[in-house]
Amino acid sequence: MRRTTLASLLVFLAVGVALVALAGAQAPPTWKQGQPANLADSTLAPIPQPPAPKAPGEIPVDKIKLPPGFKATLWAHGINNARVMTWGDKGTLFVSSRTAGNVYAIVDKGSSREVKTIAKGLNLPNGVAFRNGTLYVAEIHRITKMAGIEDKLDTPPAMEVVYETLPKDVPHGWKYLAFGPDGKLYFNIGAPCNICIPPDTHANISRINPDGSGFEYYAHGVRNSVGFDWHPETKDLYFATHGRDWLGEDVPSDRFDVAPKKGLHFGFPYCHQGDIPDPEFGKGRACGEFAAPLIKTGPHVAGNGVEFYTGAMFPAEYKNRAFLAQRGSWNRSQKIGFRVMMVTLRTGDVPKYEVFAEGWLQGGDVWGRPVYTKQMKDGSLLIADDYAGAIYRITYQR
Amino acid sequence: MPVALAVAVMAAVPGPARAADFEAGKRKAVPCAACHGADGNSTIPGTPSLAGQPNYFTHWQLIKYRDGRRKDPQMTPFAANLSDADMADLALYYEAQRPRPRPAATDPAKVTEGGRLAALHHCTSCHRPDLSGQQQVPRLAGQDFDYLLRLLRGFKAKTASDLDGTMTMAAQPLREEEILDLVHFMASLGSGAP
Repeated sequence: MRRTTLASLLVFLAVGVALVALAGAQAPPTWKQGQPANLADSTLAPIPQPPAPKAPGEIPVDKIKLPPGFKATLWAHGINNARVMTWGDKGTLFVSSRTAGNVYAIVDKGSSREVKTIAKGLNLPNGVAFRNGTLYVAEIHRITKMAGIEDKLDTPPAMEVVYETLPKDVPHGWKYLAFGPDGKLYFNIGAPCNICIPPDTHANISRINPDGSGFEYYAHGVRNSVGFDWHPETKDLYFATHGRDWLGEDVPSDRFDVAPKKGLHFGFPYCHQGDIPDPEFGKGRACGEFAAPLIKTGPHVAGNGVEFYTGAMFPAEYKNRAFLAQRGSWNRSQKIGFRVMMVTLRTGDVPKYEVFAEGWLQGGDVWGRPVYTKQMKDGSLLIADDYAGAIYRITYQR
Repeated sequence: MPVALAVAVMAAVPGPARAADFEAGKRKAVPCAACHGADGNSTIPGTPSLAGQPNYFTHWQLIKYRDGRRKDPQMTPFAANLSDADMADLALYYEAQRPRPRPAATDPAKVTEGGRLAALHHCTSCHRPDLSGQQQVPRLAGQDFDYLLRLLRGFKAKTASDLDGTMTMAAQPLREEEILDLVHFMASLGSGAP
């Protein structure tokens, strides 16, 4: 009885702490929050985003290591902070950014690419999705659309609000945006902290109809997922999640999850990587209450992009494999990530998880950060690098 | 309000085709000298010094002035015509200039209290223990008193431009007298230069 009371008190206190943290009273900057006292002198901090894209001569594309038969080329450059890529119906590649505040349109001219900035000054516009001639853009606080954009790249139409009843919290407030097989728009609302009891409105994957109606939560307990895709055959939602910081060099692992139905809870903030109760918020809860990760993708790897391969260029065994772009760690002495992994789902067996592309990390030095992938019509694969402001193309020849 | 705008269509080879150029930055800084000083040390109250500001900080602020996320009647028209290369050159030039502390009549009691608040509110986590700044985070040590006061009040009022929300959140719990204490402390610091 006494134990229960103590547990409730702790939860009560934890909620109080979380609310105070949200109000900002003496709260450290988000990235530092949750840092234990014994690490107060740690020099680890997020890798800053350069303000300008790299020149082609500063992008050593030959350092990208791939399986035999695959080749990487520099497909486009000079795209400040290039993040999510989505195709228009007429072959325009739309590219988002985060801190640069821009949305770009890239027109493929065969031997070269023309880069146009179609929107700027936006509020961390990470999410872009395209359907029926209309580009949808997710900023922190709203989702907007530009109808008929592909015919007006030089005179873009005004951005029309689709949905704006979204939290304005900046930490983990930037969004991935994609159309599900049900025709709904899916996006994340991340936890507004490193670790806290989030408000009921946060730490989820949500969805709306493309006209902005029918908002609902789809998955709960998701700290910060900025990449997901649906399996080409089962149509289940698969997503990557960034784990909390300052729990250790090798824990917790980031995750790759599947949410075959609405309403599952994936553990945040009570349980990390499916089997580590949070030292502060896990008390009184059990990891068994929550959906376990499909794959522990590694500590601090920062998994962003998720994309199932459906093209014809790569070898047959690549069909329906998932590519996971990992932007790379900051909260770890020995850097990890900075690579594109691949997942082979196997009936009756654990998934196979292996490296597809790496080399952006050389020793301890980072020259680029792969953040999202996008398949081309011919089955080749584009990889966006927000750090270098570039897009690479991966091709295969037997 | 962010509005969709078409900006100049970049050529097939956009972005910086070369590394930032210090001499070019020095040349391009000539029009800035009237307010910010030839070596980036301004003498006009309310106008910030740029000398010794981290390269990424100056470059990001210029981007924000150009795309309208940060607004100022004097800076906005200047930034509107800057290319990416101009920004990189200017940021490199100002980072290399030696900062001199701005004259300020600071109150020792407020300075002491401000120092305590700077630690309590974690200012030093990003701005570094001597408030000399780093990467995208500005140098505050020895900066102009009026400018610091205006910015910190702006962050508290949620009207100042923020790169990623960190400053707006950090300023929310501050009371007006605490803002003053912090500004007295920051303005009292030597430039942090050796």
